[in-house]
Amino acid sequence: MSHIRCPFCGDRALREFEFRKTLPGSAATPLQSVYFRQDHPQVSVEHWQHQSGCRSWLLIVRNPSTGSILRTDLLPEFPT
Amino acid sequence: MSAPHERQGTRLAPGSLRFSFNGRALTARSGDTVASALLANDIRLVGRSVKTRRRRGILTAGPEEPNALVTVGSGREVIPNIPATQLIVTEGMQVRSQNTWPSPGFDVASVLQLGGGLFSAGFYYKTFFWPSWHAYEPLIRRLAGLGAAPRASNLPSPAVEHFACDTLIAGGGPAGLLAARTAARAGAHVVLCEREPFLGGELEFEPATLEGLPAGQWIGGMIGELRRLKVRLLTDTTVVSNDGDRYVAHSEPGGLPGRNSVYHIRARRFVVAMGAVERPMVFAANDLPGTLLLGAAERYLTRYGVRVGLNAVIGANHNRVYPAALRLSAAGMRIRMIVDSRGEASISDAATRDFREKLIRSGVECLTAHSIVAAKGRTEVRGAEIRAIAGSDPGRTVDCDCILTSGGWTPVLHAADQGGGQKSYSDSLGAFVPDNQPPDRVCIGAARGSFELAALCNEVVRTFARDPESAEAVSVSGGDPTPQWLPFWMPEAARSREKLEFVDFQNDVTVADLRVAVEEGYTDIEHAKRFTALGFGTDQGRLGGTTGAAILAHLQERPLREVGASRLRAPYQPVTMRSVAELRSGNRLRATRVTPLHDWHVEHGAVMESTGLWKRPRCYDPKGAGLAEAALKEAKRVREHGGIADASTLGKIEICGPDAASFLDYVYLTKASTIAVGRSRYAVNLREDGMVLDDGLILRLSSDRFRLTTSTSHAEHMLSHFEFWRATAWANAAVAITDVSEAWSVIAIAGPKSREALARSVDAESAMKVAALRHMEFASVTCRGIAMDILRATFSGELGFEIHCPPDAALSVWSGLIGDGWQPYGLDAMDTLRIEKGYLTHAEISGQVTPYDLGLHSQLARDGDFIGRELLSRPAFHEPDRPRLVGLRTRDKGARLNGGAQIVLASRRSESRGYVTSSAFSPALGEWVALGLVSRTIAEGQEVVASDPLRGTQTVVRVSPCVHFDPSGTRMRS
Repeated sequence: MSHIRCPFCGDRALREFEFRKTLPGSAATPLQSVYFRQDHPQVSVEHWQHQSGCRSWLLIVRNPSTGSILRTDLLPEFPT
Repeated sequence: MSAPHERQGTRLAPGSLRFSFNGRALTARSGDTVASALLANDIRLVGRSVKTRRRRGILTAGPEEPNALVTVGSGREVIPNIPATQLIVTEGMQVRSQNTWPSPGFDVASVLQLGGGLFSAGFYYKTFFWPSWHAYEPLIRRLAGLGAAPRASNLPSPAVEHFACDTLIAGGGPAGLLAARTAARAGAHVVLCEREPFLGGELEFEPATLEGLPAGQWIGGMIGELRRLKVRLLTDTTVVSNDGDRYVAHSEPGGLPGRNSVYHIRARRFVVAMGAVERPMVFAANDLPGTLLLGAAERYLTRYGVRVGLNAVIGANHNRVYPAALRLSAAGMRIRMIVDSRGEASISDAATRDFREKLIRSGVECLTAHSIVAAKGRTEVRGAEIRAIAGSDPGRTVDCDCILTSGGWTPVLHAADQGGGQKSYSDSLGAFVPDNQPPDRVCIGAARGSFELAALCNEVVRTFARDPESAEAVSVSGGDPTPQWLPFWMPEAARSREKLEFVDFQNDVTVADLRVAVEEGYTDIEHAKRFTALGFGTDQGRLGGTTGAAILAHLQERPLREVGASRLRAPYQPVTMRSVAELRSGNRLRATRVTPLHDWHVEHGAVMESTGLWKRPRCYDPKGAGLAEAALKEAKRVREHGGIADASTLGKIEICGPDAASFLDYVYLTKASTIAVGRSRYAVNLREDGMVLDDGLILRLSSDRFRLTTSTSHAEHMLSHFEFWRATAWANAAVAITDVSEAWSVIAIAGPKSREALARSVDAESAMKVAALRHMEFASVTCRGIAMDILRATFSGELGFEIHCPPDAALSVWSGLIGDGWQPYGLDAMDTLRIEKGYLTHAEISGQVTPYDLGLHSQLARDGDFIGRELLSRPAFHEPDRPRLVGLRTRDKGARLNGGAQIVLASRRSESRGYVTSSAFSPALGEWVALGLVSRTIAEGQEVVASDPLRGTQTVVRVSPCVHFDPSGTRMRS
């Protein structure tokens, strides 16, 4: 995954994007969401920002074991 | 030795060149590689091996060369580790061998026998523990490793190009060329990289007919067709790494990485057509100069007209040895013997029998079921010891001056083994082949283990045609028989000989080393690799990887398929660090941000410091005095007379909209909604885990509009942070976030007379506003007709103001104040002043402190939800030994206090109770003062020790309030 398809800007280099965090799997308490995360080897739901581009926040679903991106969406459509 | 002009070869051009090897002047033909020129000059010894310092000669004719790595150039323009087989000789080129001192013929380390016993397998882990590794490191560093890196380099940066294509093909042999043509005809945008200067790959040596044309003509027609189809052909270019969907290719014309291009290629489909590498065979002293690969001998002959020897013994395990031997024989090399490790029954096809008949008739002795067990000779090959594989044959020695071996082929798996691909052993083929490849990667031709020309050509066409059913067949006739080999990994030999049976030439790994690895339990291939160094370095196992794995399997009596081979790592060939850095060096390493006053600072002797991308003045015009003294003088001057500072690097963010106030209440610990319009407040925000994230000021411009300042280093993060919360929890709120960092320059003015100075410098109608400002209030003013804001706030404890002005007005405001008699102060003085006053920076806000630790209790008395609120109630935040921010004063007024010193009890110095976050010599107080985060168990007034073993100081200090200077704040409120 050396590029990410930004819904606004299209395929852009990974270096334009900044990872923020992996989302906790299920509804979690604040303590769980900060400190306890279940890493899934095939599905990782993450927040990224197209920082050196349109600055939109993205929800990216990724397969960490292959590095492939399964979905890229704008964040507001996915209430956290 | 043949005179240069007499040689005829496909790569040679008319004319001769002069070059030097280890200072010796030599002549080469135009087009020669360093390797071919050395061989033509009868120079066989090209270097010493890395560990055992054995004499080494040229083994191959390609980038897989393990021995003949040379350093080229002189002075500052030297490049180490270039395969002599790839380096094209240019006029006056200076080439040196590596791992030798003073010369390859007389090497001190080998005379002293420093190699051998010292560097057996696992030596790093076993030998050098007593008294410690560091005692041995200098010696080992001098002896180990490949060429020496240049101390400095004048080499230019490479040209860097980024592009995208549909299909990227690595390898321009028959498979790669056909793939390019078929894919381009199907409409794809194709790029083909070939590491050689010429296209065609193995067809160069293949007397075959393709599509009705002899191979040479077919390649010529193909190139024309590819150009018409707009296929981009990059010769001299190797795909050195891939990480899944991005490929890096290096172009090195002439094999010289000093003048190269680097391509970053994105491709929808990656085609691996990198061919296969011939394997050397294992026998005792198989590294003696004069031992070469059979294919290399053919290449030197065909391309450069060089005979690598006159009397050859050839060892092989396949059918292709016979036509190759015939060609060498026809060129005047005397083939003494062909030693085929396979049984007589393996020579079953008519073509091979025919070749062998011809050889036998011309006097070549052809043995089957025999193998070479040792090379004879002291400094180079003088004979070969031959023995039957089965039975108790005493063996015999055949005189020769070169031994040519060929142990089958290893598909080039570098590209296939990276970026998520794997490989597995194929018993039928006797080689590792690509396995479990990502969906966007296709391996073709010899690189996937297809060695039959006609079959692989048609396979490729079917793979890449738009409609595989109607793909036009490629007719292939003639040519050498398809290679068929029976693996023969090593002869049965006495243990004493195993120490000389080299598997990995570059890393000096022998069968004996592999045996030690197995005996010591390093049975996993990756463990054995690290224990023995098999497949390390630039070689990455391309020559000896398969054989080494097979011998490990044999020694463990496990199937090779199960043992596997170690991962082949990038880059495929050595690349210079300059090429990796590309243009990102020196000033281009990263961007530089400067304030509008930067040039003024520099002109006035400022010593600049980097904070993130920013350049900021530490102090001005230190001359001979030194930075500390200059800063001290500046800080003193601010307290006595006043001063001005450039604070433009602060982050500035504007938040506006009907929900702006409630948004800020959420993202800050500080309540923003209660700030009156025209006033500002010191504000802190927390992370979700309750730790303090950053601090700054919030200015309320109007009921729905705020300007925030953030610390310089956190400005970008804070912007993202706010944008994140707006995009998530506040997705439906009416809030807009705008980065205004570069829309406002900030000049801080501090000192008892700052109010009068400002009132003088602004326009008359604004003077009253400035005079009326109370602490933390701001007003919009005009100064020479330009609108700006003046905020009464201080970071020095003096009466102070911040002028927020448009950047293009900054210099005139600043110069006006300078003209009014104000003097600048830099960051170091600013730091001293704020430590005296107990104000925070990121030395204190370290990411590990809570608002309780920092004494921000007034901020905590608030209602409503905010980031970090839930986790503030964690029990750990309220434990009695949490740190808290305190002041520290020395007992002995002359003593120095160092930042970073640990706070310990005099009675118990081994246990840290906190540390000094920042310290400064206070000119106002005439002593060192500090801030620290110290356990709450230590009461104010208590004496403790600031222990700084690194700088050798133990200072007795007293815990004091944070505010060292003017604790009542009368100066800033004056």
